[in-house]
Amino acid sequence: MNLLEVSDLTVEYSSGGYKVRPLNGFNLHMDKRELTVLLGASGCGKSTLLSAIAGLLRPLSGSIRVGGSEVVGLGNKELTRYRQTSVGVVFQAFNLIPSLSARENIELICRTGGQSRIEARQRAEHLLEIMDLGDRMDHRPGAMSGGQQQRVAIARSLALNPPVILADEPTAHLDYIQVEGVLKTLRDLADADRTVLIATHDERLLPLADRVIELSPRVAPATMVEEHRMLEDGEVLFAQGDPGALVYTVESGLIQLVRHRDDAAEEVISEVAQGAYFGELAPMFGLARSATARAAGPTVVTGIPLTEFRTHMRTATKAP
Amino acid sequence: MNSSEVLERKSPTGFIGPIWLASIRDLQWRSRRFLLAVLATGVVFGLALMISGVANSFSVEVQNTVGALGARSWFVPTGSLGPFSVAAPFPSHEVAAIRQVPGVTAANPILVSRALTRGAITSSHVMSASVSSEQAVNLIGVVPGGVGSPRVIEGRPVRQQDSAVVDESLHAKVGQEISLNGVKFKVAGLVSGVTYFAGQPVVFVTLGAADRLTADGKPLATAVLVKGTPTRAAIGFTALTDAQVRTDLGRPTVQAAQTIRLIEYLLWLVAAGIIGAIVYLSALERSLDFAVLKAVGTPSSHLFIGLVIEAVLIALGAAIVGFLVEIPMSGTSQMAVRLAPSNYLAVPIVAIIVGVVASILPARRAALVDPAIAFGGGK
Repeated sequence: MNLLEVSDLTVEYSSGGYKVRPLNGFNLHMDKRELTVLLGASGCGKSTLLSAIAGLLRPLSGSIRVGGSEVVGLGNKELTRYRQTSVGVVFQAFNLIPSLSARENIELICRTGGQSRIEARQRAEHLLEIMDLGDRMDHRPGAMSGGQQQRVAIARSLALNPPVILADEPTAHLDYIQVEGVLKTLRDLADADRTVLIATHDERLLPLADRVIELSPRVAPATMVEEHRMLEDGEVLFAQGDPGALVYTVESGLIQLVRHRDDAAEEVISEVAQGAYFGELAPMFGLARSATARAAGPTVVTGIPLTEFRTHMRTATKAP
Repeated sequence: MNSSEVLERKSPTGFIGPIWLASIRDLQWRSRRFLLAVLATGVVFGLALMISGVANSFSVEVQNTVGALGARSWFVPTGSLGPFSVAAPFPSHEVAAIRQVPGVTAANPILVSRALTRGAITSSHVMSASVSSEQAVNLIGVVPGGVGSPRVIEGRPVRQQDSAVVDESLHAKVGQEISLNGVKFKVAGLVSGVTYFAGQPVVFVTLGAADRLTADGKPLATAVLVKGTPTRAAIGFTALTDAQVRTDLGRPTVQAAQTIRLIEYLLWLVAAGIIGAIVYLSALERSLDFAVLKAVGTPSSHLFIGLVIEAVLIALGAAIVGFLVEIPMSGTSQMAVRLAPSNYLAVPIVAIIVGVVASILPARRAALVDPAIAFGGGK
């Protein structure tokens, strides 16, 4: 049995009135002592996955099991207990309570978890000593460097000794001097019978990882060749959420770019007429398609790889 | 680092102890703002306390004045509302018929009226020494040594036609001369707390002197005060109890008293508004903190309670400031401010209620923060 099992996880939420589905049938299995890095551009679903595993958002479907226990569907009380005892979270911006000292930031979590004042104090001091912050215990976050704050945040995530540690861009706010200690600490966490899942786009973390999962949509190389498509009225060229491989130019006819609203209705956000191009952002930034492209009447399009598009773009006409 | 060396995991409890820590630290962290809130709310509390004292004075003075006259029953002409609010004068010799009523052991007429005094007002009583020293007073003519003659705290009771017993709020001294409607009287004695119509002092003179001052010397009275237990009313008269007389005496000021009470309640609401606004602002600024705390397993109820604690602490701090500022504030009031120990004891209780009410919105906001916003690069 894996310590962390994510099966067929689909998360959907509303953003700006549109339906967004950053995770669609996602699977992940992790065991003890394993450090996995989730790589991907912003918006590809890394933080969403961490939020779902941390019990902070409810997925549309799928399963999350920690230590064999199902997390999806837990009630509020059970979720609170799950967050206290099963997952520790390290946030991108440290997110320490600014009015509390380093020790109090950890003590607060220990006491919320039911420890006595003395136990909580001893636990906080122990963790800060481990993080080599013994001389900074009574400092508030504002008086500490980014690296020190992140180590306090890591110590806080360990306050109630959870088996799963989730870290969201833990090195994003650190310079190259500060990052070293944090990287080593994260590796040590995994070596102590825990599972550590890190969401990042910082490639400095890759050598630490037992496994790297690329969350950005993958485009099969075979699809990255020029193509000519003759579409009938209503035929879909690509759908919202698909990986983006080619940039298209309308040879004849009309293409409608359509988004699905969160009230289940469709909204035509743009119409691309003969001679104009569309769909360049997804291949350019490694993103999923943000809209569905559908023919409005008989239409002919030509799709070209990004490299060719760049060559031709000076002569093409941009879609409105 | 080995996870086996860490403490045994315990079940979370409903213990709110740690939330005290966060609340106290937040108060320290934003101390200037909270201090400002305590001072502003404290002034409002002080004002509310003073207003409460003014409102109390309406009922206390009525009780004192009616009690000072020492009657068991009050006889007024039938049809009259009472001896104070709408008095109906009658010949004072009609007291003879009342003395015949079985059960009456003593009966004396009184005349209740108004007069203008001059010469006893000091600068400490009015806001400015330059203000005219004329003042309207309540005039009661009594039979010397009879029912209605009040017990003095200094000097001696009214005996002669040119002597008067005055309430100490007139700031006159025994032996001093005062003028009533232009006629000179010598202050023979002082009474305490005998005022009505919002703190206006009572001046007792002989019934004859009162008749001369207000009825052109005609022997009139407005009520007969009776001791004993009359078995029936005299013909043409209605017997009133002390409670009925108190109602009559309070009638002209009942609306003023209600309005003052309303202002008092509004001031408590203003205090709640100040605290609520400050705590709500704090809750807005701490949204990310609350999200993080929820994300790491702090129950929403703890966050809710944490903000309630903050608001209550501010309110209690304001109550202390309120006690301190009420004394000088009341000193500037021209109306009597009568506060019982229970009024002071009630302030912390009201402060706690105000704090709880003030914290409901911000605490609710804290409890409803989406913990998912803890993720991302905010801060």
